[in-house]
Amino acid sequence: MSEIAAAGVRPAWRSKLGTGADAASRASDARRVLQLALAGVWLLDAVLQYQSFMFTKAFGQMLAGTSAGNPGAVASPINWDARLVEHHTVVLNAIFATIQLLLALGIAWRPTVRLALGASIAWSLGVWWFGEGLGGVLAGTASPLNGAPGAVIIYALLAVLLWPADRGGKPAPFTAARAVGAPVARALWVVLWLSLAYFALLPANRAPQALNGMIAGMESGEPGWLAAIDRAAASLVAHQGLAASIVLAVALVIIAAGVFLPPPAARATLVLAVVVAAVIWVVGEAFGAILAGGATDPNSGLLLILLALVYWPAGTTSSPEHAPVSARQEGIPA
Amino acid sequence: MSTPAWILDIFAALMLVVAAVSAARLVVLRPWRLGRAAVVADIDVSHLLMAIAMAGMLAAGLSTLPNDAWAVVFGVLTAWFAYQVTRDVRREGSRALAAGHCAPHLVHAGAMLYMFLALTAPAAGGGSGMAGMGGSGGMQTLSLPLLAFLFALALIGYSVWDLDQLSGPGAGPHYSLAVPRPVPALVGAAAGAGASAASAVALAPDDGVALVAQPGLADQAASCAIPASLTGANPVLAPWVATSCRIAMGVTMALMLVLMI
Repeated sequence: MSEIAAAGVRPAWRSKLGTGADAASRASDARRVLQLALAGVWLLDAVLQYQSFMFTKAFGQMLAGTSAGNPGAVASPINWDARLVEHHTVVLNAIFATIQLLLALGIAWRPTVRLALGASIAWSLGVWWFGEGLGGVLAGTASPLNGAPGAVIIYALLAVLLWPADRGGKPAPFTAARAVGAPVARALWVVLWLSLAYFALLPANRAPQALNGMIAGMESGEPGWLAAIDRAAASLVAHQGLAASIVLAVALVIIAAGVFLPPPAARATLVLAVVVAAVIWVVGEAFGAILAGGATDPNSGLLLILLALVYWPAGTTSSPEHAPVSARQEGIPA
Repeated sequence: MSTPAWILDIFAALMLVVAAVSAARLVVLRPWRLGRAAVVADIDVSHLLMAIAMAGMLAAGLSTLPNDAWAVVFGVLTAWFAYQVTRDVRREGSRALAAGHCAPHLVHAGAMLYMFLALTAPAAGGGSGMAGMGGSGGMQTLSLPLLAFLFALALIGYSVWDLDQLSGPGAGPHYSLAVPRPVPALVGAAAGAGASAASAVALAPDDGVALVAQPGLADQAASCAIPASLTGANPVLAPWVATSCRIAMGVTMALMLVLMI
C-alpha cells in the first residue's frame, strides 16, 4: 500500500505549529490568562444556571430567602424580583443562564473583552443585590465560610482588576495594579480580606457551635468522600467556635497585609491566601455544592484563589519575552 | 422538572450543525484517497460521531445507537487519541497538552466514554434510551460526579482557550481564520525532505493540491488537524471551522455533564 503524505509538508506544518504556539504563548500574558480563567468561571456559572433545579419555583424561593435580615430598602426589591422569577421561572432563568454564557464567550473572544467585562460588572452588581441579598453583609449572617461577601461581587472585582488597560509610568508590581494602579489595587485587597476577618468574628459565627453547624450543614447530598471531609472538619471545630474564628481571622488579617510586604513575603501570604481559599471552597462550601446538584455558582472559594493569583508579584526579569503585553498587542481593540 | 426540553433541543440542533459541518469536511477531504494518511481525518470523524451521539442524548428523537455501542465507539476514539497524545508528549513534552494538539480531543472522547459508562437510571420515571435529559422521563445522573466535574472543567478550559486563540494575534495554523491555500511546489518540498524519486509519486486530485506518495511520512501523522497542503482552497476545510466545532461541542458537553451530576 502506498503511503501518502502531503509531500513532506507535514514536518513543515508541525514546525509551523510550534512557531504559532510560541507566538500565541507570548501574546497571552498573565493578565490574558487570568481573563480566560474568569471567562471559564463564568462559563461554569452559566452551565450551572441551566440545571433543572433552577427552572423550578424553588429558584424564586431561594432568591426571596436572601432578603431575610436585610434593611427594607434592600429587601423589598429582592422580594419583588423573587416574585417575578417565581411567575416566569423558565423564561427568566433561561435568559439569566444565556446572559452568563454570553459573558463567558465575550471575555474569551478578544474583540469583545471590554464589552463583556463591563457588562459582567453591571450584571454582577445586579445579582449581588437581587440574587444574593448583598451577600448577607447587612444582615449580620455573612461568613467567610459560606461565601461572604457574596461570590458574585468577586466576579465584578476581578473584572475591574483585569480590565485591559495600562496606567502609564513604572511597570505594575502585580497584574491587579495594571488597570487601576497599585494603591487602588492594594486598597481593594485590604478591604476584601479585612472584611472577611470582620465577618469571621461576628457573633453569629463565633458561637461555640456556629462553624460546626455551618460545615456539617454542607454534608447533605454530597458524595461520600466529601461528606466525610465535612464531618471530620465539623468535629474538629465542634464547641471551638470562638477559637476557630480567631485563628481564621488572624490568617485573614495576615493575608490582607501581604500586599504591602516585599515580593518574597508577599508570595508567602498569597500562598496562604490560596490555601485558606481552598479550605473554604472544599470544607466550608463543598465546591459550591456543585456535586450535590444544587449549585447556582461555584461560590467564593474558587474566585478567591483566582483573585490571589491576580496579585501575584510580577517577575523581576527585564527580558522582552516576559514583559507584560499591552491590550493592543493582545489583539484587544481600544 | 428537568431542564426545559426546548433548551436541550437548541443544543441538540447545534450538535446537528456540527455533525453536518464535520460530514461536509469529510466529503470534501475524501480521506479514503489518502491511504494511511487518511488519519488526518480523525478529528472530523470524531466530531461527527460525538455530535451525533450528543444530539441523541439531548433529544430522545435523535437517538441512534444503543449506549453500549456508543461506549465501544468512544472507547476506540479515546484509545486512539491517547496514543496520539502519548506520541506528541514524547516529541514535544508538556507543550503537547496545549489546545493546538490532540489533548483536547482526548478529553472530549474520554468525557463521552465516561458519560456512556457512568450513566445511572433516571431518578424518576423511565426515560427512553439515554435521552431523558429532557422531557418527562426523569433526569439521568452520572456515577462518580467528581469525574464529571473535572471533565467539565477541562472542557471549559479548552473551550475558552480555543476561543481566545481564534480571536487573537499570532494564532497558529489550528486557529487561522483565513481560507487555506494550496502550498505550491510540493514535490520540491518532498525532495527536500529526503524522498527518493522512486518513492515520490505525484497525485493530482480535483482540488488541484498535489500530493506525493512518500514512504514513512504517514507515520509522522501525529498532528490533530488537517495539514494546509491537504485542504486546498476550500473554506469548509479551514482550520477555524474544526476549532469552532470543537468549541461548540466542548460547551455543550460541559453543560451535559453538569446537568447529569
